[in-house]
Amino acid sequence: MKRVLALGVLVVAAVATAAFAAQTQTASARPSAGSLVGTGATFPFPLISKWIPAVDEALGIRITYTPTGSGTGIAQITARTVDFGGSDAPLSPDQLTACKGCVVIPWALAGLSMPYNIPGLNGRLRLDGTTLANIYLGTITNWNSPFIKRLNPNLNLPDLRITPVYRSDGSGSTYAFTGYLSEISPQWKSKVGQNTTVNFPTGTGARGSSGVAGVVKSTAGAITYVDAAYSITNKFQFALLKNRAGGFATPGVRGVTRALCDLPARVTSLSQLKIVDPPRKCGRLAYPLSTFTYVIVPTSSGDKAADLRRFVYWAVTQGQKFGPPLFFVPLPKQVQGFAYREIKKIQS
Amino acid sequence: MTSTTYEPPAPETDLRRRGIRLGDVLFKGIAIVAALAATVLLGLIAWKILQLARPAIQDFGLSFIWTDAWNPVTNDYGALAFVYGTAVTSIIALVLATPLSVAIALFLTEIAPRKVAAPIATMVELLAAIPSVVLGLWGILVFGPWVRDYLEPWLQDVLGFLPMFSGTPSQAGILPAALVLTIMIIPITSAICRELFIRVPQELMDGSLALGSTRWEAIRGVLLTYAAPGIAAAVLLGLGRAFGEAIAVNQTIGNANIIPTSWFEPGNSLGSKIAAEYAGATSVEQASSILYLAAILMVISLTTNVIAQVIVVRFERARRAV
Repeated sequence: MKRVLALGVLVVAAVATAAFAAQTQTASARPSAGSLVGTGATFPFPLISKWIPAVDEALGIRITYTPTGSGTGIAQITARTVDFGGSDAPLSPDQLTACKGCVVIPWALAGLSMPYNIPGLNGRLRLDGTTLANIYLGTITNWNSPFIKRLNPNLNLPDLRITPVYRSDGSGSTYAFTGYLSEISPQWKSKVGQNTTVNFPTGTGARGSSGVAGVVKSTAGAITYVDAAYSITNKFQFALLKNRAGGFATPGVRGVTRALCDLPARVTSLSQLKIVDPPRKCGRLAYPLSTFTYVIVPTSSGDKAADLRRFVYWAVTQGQKFGPPLFFVPLPKQVQGFAYREIKKIQS
Repeated sequence: MTSTTYEPPAPETDLRRRGIRLGDVLFKGIAIVAALAATVLLGLIAWKILQLARPAIQDFGLSFIWTDAWNPVTNDYGALAFVYGTAVTSIIALVLATPLSVAIALFLTEIAPRKVAAPIATMVELLAAIPSVVLGLWGILVFGPWVRDYLEPWLQDVLGFLPMFSGTPSQAGILPAALVLTIMIIPITSAICRELFIRVPQELMDGSLALGSTRWEAIRGVLLTYAAPGIAAAVLLGLGRAFGEAIAVNQTIGNANIIPTSWFEPGNSLGSKIAAEYAGATSVEQASSILYLAAILMVISLTTNVIAQVIVVRFERARRAV
């Protein structure tokens, strides 16, 4: 009996070892041509999910994308454990050096909305960048503040404490939001600054878009920032933001498109893609808080290069038409042009 | 000739004997490998964390532990707010969970009839089976709002003169996180306490009762005294659990890099900070500082567990001597 048992254990162990060895072998081999693996930002994930079946159909390339966060996307592409990384923040000069020959290509564009929870409010809240900065700095703490009343003369703003809510995880939304506040408020720029995670001086943090949205939903007086698509699909009330032309705009496709009016005719570097707080000439409909999101690809991608070029080219051209239903804004011509030139740098 | 009289053993018996030996050897081998693997793994994990945390350890030195800073923009980091949050939430949880756990264990071993005790014991232990992320979700959606709307206003009415009960009630903060931790460690400590109380020799209890002590006097004088070191160990094991909890705390503590005076205000803990920020860390300084936090947490948890084990060993030795 014992012998049978021992033999059984041996056989199982042998089979398991063999199976494991076989598996690690297939796993260690790079996925065959015709499939690409990526990870990173969660912000563009709804759009990429729509792309995956379409790319398979149009180009025969199978895409796998895991939404893990911009920081992970950057780390994994730097380590070359994936074929492409997604990030809502362009690489910093240090990160670009660390990535050893990576191109950063804008491939989607969308607005950030400011959902709030003020029970019994008789209309749509209107805010401007300075007020938002002061709310998140903790200098405006009540909804009946004269600074908010001045922007909303017709609203019955209650005597209610403001709870600013932010992302506790590293997030492209935080990068875009803190970029906007840094642009508008010198005080924010010097005290807090712009990054995917910053040291918020006040408020409550929660994980992910659903986390911050959950806190806002259950906390009277809360306000937060999430991508426009999230607010619209979850039927959140979100604020209108004042632009330089003096209009109060919404983060819809039209509002974000208007904010692009100041892009140069020929985009030659990522630093020209600044679209927060657009100038007065963009008009009263321009929404001041939106962000590009990027794909990061190594310039020497081996046998993946051709597939990567085809996929990213498809994404910035054909792929853009999947955007509007999800509140992603199709890339403007100049940005597509910039993307084409960057795509050409992806070589084997 | 002796050789002709020699009878070789039957092949089956030989095989069987060898088979048994093979089994023994195999079992011994697996046991040794498993034990070694566990030890080596602990060492490797500790070494890797220290190695990855090295840039931050070199930059900030030991003062990292008592520096209050966390700014990924200026790359200025310190652990104080998170060490504070971890300590305060865990200690509140401990102070609340210890008497409750002892009471539950006493009820189950001394007071409740056996028919009632068994299902209740199972239920309490099942509480430990709730995944912490689910408990955290419950904390966000149900428990946190309840704490904000009922418990905290009540505490403020009664004890509002204390600084920790001042401020505005909030659904995410030190107190909600500590209460969720309390719920998480009660099953562990109460199960160990119950085990301890069962093992108290019945003769001692009977003797005490025979000498005319009341049931409460017997419990206090004999049962609790006898089990005291074990209770201390149970409490420390619960504390270790509370120190290390990341997700449920992350969901209920409010994730603010500050040292709040009020327990209603949001703060953060080591585990929660690591869970929230590591995946999105954008610079080497940030990533290594988070791993420095991990190293601190690891040292705290290991120390707590080692102390608990030392107490258990001493307790066992003392008990055997009796």
